Amino acid sequence: MSEPFEPKIVAFVCTYCTYAGADLAGTSRLKYPPNVRIVRLPCTGRISPMFILKAFQKGADGVLVSGCHPGDCHFDHGNYHARRRWTAFNALLHFTGVPEERVKFSWISAAEGIKFAELIDSITEEIRQAGPFEQYHKLIAETGSVASV
Amino acid sequence: MSIQQQYRSRAKELLQDGSVKMVIGYGEGTTATRRRPIFITNPDDTDRLVLDAACKTNLAGYLLREGLLADQKSVAIFLSPSGVRTINILASESQLSSAQVVVLGFQIQGDTVKALEGTKASDFSPLIAKRKEKRKAQPSHEMTRKLEQMTPAERFAFWEGEFSRCIKCYACRAACPMCWCRRCVVDNNQPQWVNTSSHTLGNLEWNLVRAFHLAGRCVECGNCSEACPVNIPLHLLNRRMTEEVLTAFDHYPGADEHQEPVLASFRKDDPETFIL
Repeated sequence: MSEPFEPKIVAFVCTYCTYAGADLAGTSRLKYPPNVRIVRLPCTGRISPMFILKAFQKGADGVLVSGCHPGDCHFDHGNYHARRRWTAFNALLHFTGVPEERVKFSWISAAEGIKFAELIDSITEEIRQAGPFEQYHKLIAETGSVASV
Repeated sequence: MSIQQQYRSRAKELLQDGSVKMVIGYGEGTTATRRRPIFITNPDDTDRLVLDAACKTNLAGYLLREGLLADQKSVAIFLSPSGVRTINILASESQLSSAQVVVLGFQIQGDTVKALEGTKASDFSPLIAKRKEKRKAQPSHEMTRKLEQMTPAERFAFWEGEFSRCIKCYACRAACPMCWCRRCVVDNNQPQWVNTSSHTLGNLEWNLVRAFHLAGRCVECGNCSEACPVNIPLHLLNRRMTEEVLTAFDHYPGADEHQEPVLASFRKDDPETFIL
């Protein structure tokens, strides 16, 4: 019998807010699914759309990008720049047929451990329902490499 | 006097009185409907210039040829309104000084060519402002509307089919006046962002990156689609990006040379409908 599908989700988070929020979720002993691989970056302004494509290239079923709420950026305006970038890139992904549930964006502050745990819970469930990102995995398989996230 | 004759003599005058060192324009191509870029430095050669409805290529990218503008001398260039917008963007991105560009402006309407008043890129700003309003009112491309109605899986399959034909010749990049990076992200191998093998995966990644890098910069001149040897509808991606920055940020690329690049600026009240 094959194992039930467990989604692989990559989360690109900024160190000052969302990572601290994830940390808070941990220290508060909140339970959330272990499907998410967290990649910590200095700021959402550092998160290039290439990261999202790279995560999919390596076989991710979903990607989360998260950082400080507008106005809370440690570097004052990194997240405002990121927001514009996501708006354009999100539209592009939508237009090329990457389903909405595969890429999520959120603002999670250092105090929102509960929000972090709940969000991971809900996106994991959503992607579990949707199943593996077969259309992309087929493209990866053509290249002869295997999913390695 | 025909418009072609008029522009030939203008080019000749500019070269003769030394106000420009070169004229970049269109010449006869290999077939009756093809035009090729020509670079004229001798006033006697201006008879080779052609200006008709087949002169569709945006020539602005040739101004970025290494060293061309380094001597502070001016260059005259044949430009349609989208070509003038290209000059504005390149100036706002510090790739050239618009003071060195003498514009020979024209506009193609159906089968005829209309002369445009003005010699500096800024002379065309009122015209470009009008075009912005026109672009706002313009409905999406028929194919775009069709795609938007499909399910994501169907859209993915459509683009997978299109991108599977891509041979990564990068003609789209070479033809684009906006692709001026000395080192393109796709040529990077540490890290290797884009899969370089000739599989659909890398083709998809390349085309997504290309479209994204042109978001808010593309003037929809059509050079890329024209250059694509396998006829991928690249303009659909670019148009979608143009519509996005226009509706979300009220940004029309190349409005004037002081316009801030859309992805290098922000407003605190930018819309965010999709962020959780």
